[in-house]
Amino acid sequence: MDRKKFITNVGRYSILGALLFITGQIFFKRRVSASGQYVWQIDPMKCTQCGRCATECIKTPSAVKCVHAYDLCGYCDLCGGYFKPNTMDLNTGAENQLCPTGAIQRKFVEEPFFEYAIDEKLCNGCGKCVKGCTSFGNGSLHLQIRHDLCDNCNQCAIARVCPSDAIKRVPIENPYLIKGAFTS
Amino acid sequence: MNWLAGLIRSLMLLIVLLCASNHSYAQQRFPKPEFKTEYTQPVPEHPAPRSPALEFLDLAILVLVMSLTAWVAIRRRSRYGILILTIFSLFYFGFYKQGCICSVGSIQNVALALADPTYRLPLVALLVFLLPLIFSLFFGRVFCAAACPLGAIQDLIIFKPINLPVWLRKSLSILPWTYLGLAVLFATTGTDFIICRYDPFIGIYRLNGKFIMILLGIAFLLMGLFVARPYCRFICPYGALLSLTSRFSKWHLSIYPTSCVQCKLCTTACPFEAIDFPDSEQTKPEPRTQTRRFLTFAALIPVLIAVGMFIGSLSHVFLSRANSTVYLAELLIAHPELRSDPLNLDIQTFLASGQTLETLTEDAATIREKFRIGAMILGGFLGLVIGLTALNQLIFRRKEDYQANRADCYSCARCLDYCPVDKTIAHG
Amino acid sequence: MNKKVLYVFLILLAGLIAVLVYTDHRSTQLDKRPDNPYAYDISEFEKVDPAMIHYSETRNIRLGKDKARGISWFDNHIYLVTENNLQVISQEGQQESKMTLTGRPNCIQVVKSGIFIGFDNLVSLYNFEGQLIRSYLSESDSSHFTSVAFLEGLVAVADAGQRVLLLFNEDGTLIRKIYGKRESEDLHGFIVPSFYFDVAFTPDGELWVVNPGMHALENYTTDGNLRSHWAKPSMDISGFSGCCNPAHMAILPDGFFVTAEKGLVRVKEYKPSGELSSVVAPPSSFETGKTAPDLAVTSAGEILALDFDRNSIRIFEKKDQHGS
Repeated sequence: MDRKKFITNVGRYSILGALLFITGQIFFKRRVSASGQYVWQIDPMKCTQCGRCATECIKTPSAVKCVHAYDLCGYCDLCGGYFKPNTMDLNTGAENQLCPTGAIQRKFVEEPFFEYAIDEKLCNGCGKCVKGCTSFGNGSLHLQIRHDLCDNCNQCAIARVCPSDAIKRVPIENPYLIKGAFTS
Repeated sequence: MNWLAGLIRSLMLLIVLLCASNHSYAQQRFPKPEFKTEYTQPVPEHPAPRSPALEFLDLAILVLVMSLTAWVAIRRRSRYGILILTIFSLFYFGFYKQGCICSVGSIQNVALALADPTYRLPLVALLVFLLPLIFSLFFGRVFCAAACPLGAIQDLIIFKPINLPVWLRKSLSILPWTYLGLAVLFATTGTDFIICRYDPFIGIYRLNGKFIMILLGIAFLLMGLFVARPYCRFICPYGALLSLTSRFSKWHLSIYPTSCVQCKLCTTACPFEAIDFPDSEQTKPEPRTQTRRFLTFAALIPVLIAVGMFIGSLSHVFLSRANSTVYLAELLIAHPELRSDPLNLDIQTFLASGQTLETLTEDAATIREKFRIGAMILGGFLGLVIGLTALNQLIFRRKEDYQANRADCYSCARCLDYCPVDKTIAHG
Repeated sequence: MNKKVLYVFLILLAGLIAVLVYTDHRSTQLDKRPDNPYAYDISEFEKVDPAMIHYSETRNIRLGKDKARGISWFDNHIYLVTENNLQVISQEGQQESKMTLTGRPNCIQVVKSGIFIGFDNLVSLYNFEGQLIRSYLSESDSSHFTSVAFLEGLVAVADAGQRVLLLFNEDGTLIRKIYGKRESEDLHGFIVPSFYFDVAFTPDGELWVVNPGMHALENYTTDGNLRSHWAKPSMDISGFSGCCNPAHMAILPDGFFVTAEKGLVRVKEYKPSGELSSVVAPPSSFETGKTAPDLAVTSAGEILALDFDRNSIRIFEKKDQHGS
């Protein structure tokens, strides 16, 4: 009995020692973030608008939404992100809109400028408007992960399949990378 | 001259970066209008993530649940108490927190932190990895009993558990170690977090998921009706670690408070076959044959390790294909005609990124080398595990009564309710 | 329950689990991933049916370090303004003369009367010896002249800063300011979101100006009345994309318009009615998403495109009937 207890004790403290060693290694190599969590973030400059943000997110609808950097917008009548390319009539008819869910609201400001606002409840994060805006306009529309919706999975399902590796873990202090904040 | 080439390359990169950043500072295609009317630009809101303080609260609740489980199992000796705690964990850690971040997955985070200098491990992840292990070193597998949401759902769904033959149980016991090794291998090479990806119950806890994942969860639950805790016993990698640490626990759930009356009611109660039978039920082998068998198998262990390492190195190419960089490189080399396929987004994005096939192949080769070393270590490690498991079977331990097997027992306390000795004590 | 049945059931479940895991792994591998259901193929717009391209690039003239600002053609010479000088270049690309300018020129127009060079608040007229003859001044400080045109004693100057078309007499007096009015009620005038605002005369003497915000070309009488106009807001090849296009415009000897757009860069030829006649240079000829080339035409109907990104003059000639 005594020998068994001895072996058990040795084993226990060896394992504790091993765990302590692992912890020590991690702290020593400064690989711990004491402040807390990391969150997932899309880099809009790397995004290729592949549509996987809408299909791969484990949430339905996706936690990725289109965000508008108004500072960069040209307020164009013929908005590259709003209108289908073969539109002749520049009105808010559903048949003219690129957005599959009709999430962009077009509002007249003054001639010939129009404001384009995203209704996040309708947006599914597909990136069609982003593609149009980047190709034909200023690129003020871009996709971002909304952190009130995101579950902050250990491994982001979208990040796993992002073709340009645009989704990375970032410290929780700076969760968003909004255009306009760093361009111009 | 390597440093010179490196310097030139860095300079060129700097110039390219400057030009690229200049472009973003340059005039936009369509300049921002100067509005004549009173127009105020909307200010978009960016909702903040869940406060990190709440993560520590969850950790505190985890510690509380484990402590309570230990107290209920060891001191209070009540199945009812464990059941209440299990149901709590099902709802809190399961449906509310939706199982993330969990101790099972934290293995990968810790492994990545040790291997990747650019990864920062959150303190919560480290603690959620360590705490159940530390608790098990003192109180047994209290985490499995009532805190783990994966265990909770399986525990509650047990219907008519069958007994599996010993040889099957022991052979399947290699699976959790294999899964552990593969998870560490894939995590450290930056390939994927497979424990998270193939978590069967996450789809159920989220009430949402891909069809395949929901189907996987249902398959496990169906299995769980008849084979108690199938994931815990035969797959869970964290369970493999806990089965090791729990062997050395200072205190552990004990079935009977004073002496066993050999009624075997506890073995009827335990759905996990985690109760060891006493000596008199087993034939006691001769000491000499025992020693000979032991020495034979002990000598066999290095052979098993070597064989394992060999098989590991053979399989490293196959395993490395799970890594997307390696897969892409292989694909482009084997099928260069795919370069012109406009529908393959990954290939098209790669080609547009300006990265050359040479650098991709270099990266892939580096990763494959990591896989080679990792797979060899994994193979050798599994050889060791097989050897030790076989050896463990051979060692004869003197047992006089029915006892909970410290490695396998989850401290679920079902046996405590069945044990008649217990009741006698309780009712004077 | 029969034990055998149960065992079979359990084995089937185990098999199912293995199959599910493998299927999931395979379905996310690179070559097995599903297509993008939200694909927006914009390469459509960069592709132009070759049958629509009736011009081919015959030569191009590389300019040196000087960044070009504007181009004009007259009497077999190419006139170029750069950041601070005026250059005269032969049609083969030889620099014949160079003259330093005070100030930064925006545009140039060369006619029989002389060389009109537009700066921010003034247009200078030089003779062919390089002497300053006259200046046409703006009344305001925030002017930004982007285009000059001349015909029969009238100097038309497009001011992008003030969004107004100025008409001067040849002697320098300001005759009229045209703010541009529409036939309909909303009289908004010229919408010029960026410094691209071009004006030109047809050989018949019609005054045409681009209204970039409306994607329109408008014809005004010298009294300032709108006679006719046509607009084509569209990303399609037949229209003008973005918020302010065409960025540059020129008129061929036969009265056809040549337009250059920015964003989706392309140069096109339109009939006087506004119908697309041909594509001169499709988007694939230019750096993607960059600046529109400035335009000039020769008396033989060649089109000179001043490519700012490549800093070169690209010359396009109409293909003959057999498509050379």
